[in-house]
Amino acid sequence: MDSEAEFSSFFDWLTRRDRARELSVLMPLILGAAAAASAATPDTEDPDAGNPERRTPRERIVLIDPFSQRVAVIEGGSDLDSLLQGLGGKDGQPPASKASIDAMPSVEIGEADGGSECAICLEQFEVDGVAKEMPCNHRFHGGCIEQWLTLHGSCPVCRFTMPVEEEEVVKKSEERGGEGRRVDGEIRVRVFVHNRRRASEGPDQASDEDTMQS
Amino acid sequence: MVDFARVQKELQECSRDIERSGIKVIPKSEATLARLIGTIPGPVGTPYEGGTFQIDIALPDAYPFEPPKMQFTTKVWHPNISSQSGAICLDILKDQWSPALTLKTALLSVQALLSAPQPDDPQDAVVAQQYLKDYQTFVGTARYWTETFAKKSSLGIVEKVQKLVEMGFPEAQARSTLEAAGGDENLALEKLCSG
Repeated sequence: MDSEAEFSSFFDWLTRRDRARELSVLMPLILGAAAAASAATPDTEDPDAGNPERRTPRERIVLIDPFSQRVAVIEGGSDLDSLLQGLGGKDGQPPASKASIDAMPSVEIGEADGGSECAICLEQFEVDGVAKEMPCNHRFHGGCIEQWLTLHGSCPVCRFTMPVEEEEVVKKSEERGGEGRRVDGEIRVRVFVHNRRRASEGPDQASDEDTMQS
Repeated sequence: MVDFARVQKELQECSRDIERSGIKVIPKSEATLARLIGTIPGPVGTPYEGGTFQIDIALPDAYPFEPPKMQFTTKVWHPNISSQSGAICLDILKDQWSPALTLKTALLSVQALLSAPQPDDPQDAVVAQQYLKDYQTFVGTARYWTETFAKKSSLGIVEKVQKLVEMGFPEAQARSTLEAAGGDENLALEKLCSG
C-alpha cells in the first residue's frame, strides 16, 4: 500500500472537508488510524482485495490518545480512500438514470427563442436547430446536458432533480438502513471519552459511538 | 479538455461587466487559459471593505462539468477561508457546482461569503472559534488583515507601528493596539494615550 499517496490524499481531503465537521474531534485519531492501517495491512496486493464478496473485514484498530484520554476503535473492511470519500461528501447529486436522459424531448428552436443561449457552453442556440428540454422546461444543447446528467442528475439552472438509476437507490437505502449488518466499505469508529468530572461519582467512562459509511 | 471557447466567452463577459461587479478575471499567463487570477473587492460594510482580494483559479480538464479550483492568495481572516492556505469552504465550489455557474458568478459567491461567514461550517477552526466567542476581536483581526494584506495604497502596517514607536510607545503594545483598532492609526493612538 502506498502510504505516502494515501496520506497526501488524506490531507487533500482534510482541506476540503465540509460535511465532516462533527467528526473533526476525531481527526487526530483517524490520522493515527491511517498510519496504523497503512503500516499494519499491506493487503492491497491481496488477490481477494478486488472481490468484495470474499473480502474479510480488516482487524480492529484501537487508538489511544493519552493527552485527551480518548480511545477510538476502528473496525471495518474498507480502504482509506473510500472512507475519506464518504466523509468528504463531495459527490453531489448522483447521475440521472439513462431512461430519464433518453426521455427528454427534443424541441425545435424557433424565432422566439432566438438569442437565448445554452447555459452550459454559453453558445447561442441556432434558430431552427434542436435543443433538449428537461422536465423543468430548461433547454440545453443535447450533448451538453447529457454530459452533465451522466455526472449529476440535476438541472444546471434550477437544480430540478432527475430520477436516478434503480441500483443507485438500492445502494443508498442499504447504506442508510444498514443497522446490524455490515455493508461493504463500512467502517465503525467507537470513541470512548474519559470523563474526569464524573470519575469521583462512579461511572468513569462515557462512550459515544459513531458509524461512518463510505 | 477544458472548454476554452467557453472560458474565452466568460472572460469577455466579465470584463464587460467590470465597472458594475468590480470582479476581474485575467489569465495568469498567455500560455494557457486554465490558470487564472480572479480579483474581488471586499464587500462594503464588512471588515474586508477597502481591500482587494486575489484568488488563484485553476480549471480542471472537465470544466465546466467540474468546479474551478479557487484559493485565496491574499491572506484573509474569515471562518470559511484558511488563514494558512487560503482554501475556501464553499459548497458551490464542491458538490453544489453547476455548469450554469461561471467564474464570475462563482467569484460573486465568494464575495458573498465574505459578507456572510458560516462559522458552523468552518474551514479555519481558530477563526471560527474567535468569530463565535469574541466577535469584536474577530472584526478587529479581520480588519487588520485587510489593512495589512489586501490594501496596497494605504500606509503599510509596519510603517504605522514604526510611527507609534517613534512617538514613544513600546512596539508590542503599539502593534496589538493597532490590530485591535483594525489598522486605524488615529484610533490606536487615542487608545494608547487614554490607556
